[in-house]
Amino acid sequence: MTVLDELEKIWYFMKRDMISFSTYKTNIAILFLTAVFGALSFAYLGSNASMQSVLKLYGESLTTYIIIGLAFSTYLTQSLTLVQKTINPWALEEVLVSPTGLSTFIVGSSIWSFIWSTGTVVIYLVIGVFVFGIPLSINILGTIIVVALGISAFIGFSMIGSGILILTKQGDPVSALITIATSLFGNVLFPPQVLPPLLQTIAYVLPQYYFFKCIRLMLTGSTIQMILPELEILALMCAIIVPLGYAIYAVCLKTARKNGTLSWF
Amino acid sequence: MQVENAIQTINLTKTFKSKIQTSETKFYNRTTVSVNAIDNLNLEINKGELFGLLGPNGAGKTTLVKMLCTLLPPDSGTALINGYDIVKEQMKVKRSLGTLFSVGERGFFWRLNGYRNLEFFASIYNVPRPKRQERILEVLKLVGLENSAFELYQKYSGGMKRKLALARTLLPDPPVILLDEPTTGLDVISSRNVREFVKSTVLETGKTVLYTTHYIEEAAQICTRIGILKQGRIVACDTPDALRHKIKNEEIIYLVVEEIVQDQINKISSLRGVIGISERTDQELMPNQKGLCVELESVDQLPSIFDFLFKQKIKLVNFKREEPTLEDAFIELTKRA
Repeated sequence: MTVLDELEKIWYFMKRDMISFSTYKTNIAILFLTAVFGALSFAYLGSNASMQSVLKLYGESLTTYIIIGLAFSTYLTQSLTLVQKTINPWALEEVLVSPTGLSTFIVGSSIWSFIWSTGTVVIYLVIGVFVFGIPLSINILGTIIVVALGISAFIGFSMIGSGILILTKQGDPVSALITIATSLFGNVLFPPQVLPPLLQTIAYVLPQYYFFKCIRLMLTGSTIQMILPELEILALMCAIIVPLGYAIYAVCLKTARKNGTLSWF
Repeated sequence: MQVENAIQTINLTKTFKSKIQTSETKFYNRTTVSVNAIDNLNLEINKGELFGLLGPNGAGKTTLVKMLCTLLPPDSGTALINGYDIVKEQMKVKRSLGTLFSVGERGFFWRLNGYRNLEFFASIYNVPRPKRQERILEVLKLVGLENSAFELYQKYSGGMKRKLALARTLLPDPPVILLDEPTTGLDVISSRNVREFVKSTVLETGKTVLYTTHYIEEAAQICTRIGILKQGRIVACDTPDALRHKIKNEEIIYLVVEEIVQDQINKISSLRGVIGISERTDQELMPNQKGLCVELESVDQLPSIFDFLFKQKIKLVNFKREEPTLEDAFIELTKRA
């Protein structure tokens, strides 16, 4: 056994992985986009323009802005992976043969995740208030409404992604793209107003932008009337995304059932 | 008297389309082929029957189970479970059924114990709340897991996981049970326990069980009737005994005799009702002994054989009636179809 033989083995390991990797074209694209958008997000986060823009738009410090953004993004992250986690193809067959509806499963399986997310949000806010001294004046009803709408929109995205996953069995491009879009255009770490005008347009067609805008205002003393225009847009987006997501999920599920590929993974 | 069916399929058909590579080198050269997984299947299973479905791999057994439990929609035809249509009355079908899939462990929660897992499934299978605890303990005892009920599922052995899956299937007390290869992957003792349990469940509670397997003797041991499925079609359906004799009507007897000569063997072969005679050398015999396989038209010809041996003063050392096995029948019937 020579060194050359060992090197040849290592080459075949690498070749095996390279060929397998090359078959996941969507994943390659997502990895590339994640790297590009990740770098851009942190570049904008560190810019002076972000600080000035936050102060001008929300009248708050960048610390307050980021803590609220990170805290409430846990709800969206949970919602985005919810359907995939709870109705995954491994357990799906067991669910579908029981006399319990899919919607009960999704709702039932999500409750604990949201209780847990609420705990996380509270931890963020407590640290924010007591360690960083961020000023909070919470409109509880408004916060509940905005969170409910944000969760609904993201469950809609989750259903689209899970539906595609059930059919393609190769990664969930929708959830990956939504995560990338949230980090750059979502109003989480910096306001999209610091982006070039063309990229700002993308932010305005995403529910994340309106969700974070409304939630920030609901936590810093605004009334529901003051966020009504944004709230209406968020509600309208929900009214489109949720039925669309359900329809796509149902069609993909029906197709997989028809083809007998439901449990293939 | 008309017997009510617990399961009835009516021209049930399912075709799968799949793409196959037509060139060894060019992966993009692919063509779509259709496979009839279930082909115009008509099958009737009576209430209280333990019906075995035998078939080689890819015969369509799992596809049929998945269609009956509403998981796979048929392309045409339908099936009735307890009188309910699998296409039009899915919820009623689900309430009448308990299904154990060939990989039944997938839906369980590894960080919960056996009891808590069943508690969850009892709720989604609509087991009435006041009876829930009692029913869970009852099914755990039925499958022999009462002492491991509060152990974490992740610590269960393969046999215990299978038993818990079986307990889950029985939990809602359904009148019809579909068991898809319930003993696959189990050791000999666990397999026997499952078989005995299924058989006693049917006898004691009058439930209807569709039991798919590719272990032939397993089906022969417990099933009242067996259907042999090949390429989505039932090629034979009868009691295990009747299936054994479907391939051979003649009787085969095995004789061990002493001091017999070839001329006497020839004379036996010319007796009335004897179809053939052959010498068997696979048995350990004394030097003066011979093992003979005699094929008879029927068992009625036996006295004439014994009479001949007596008159010729040939000593009969051993005598055995050889039954055709279900395995013989299975191989022959699937070959013929």
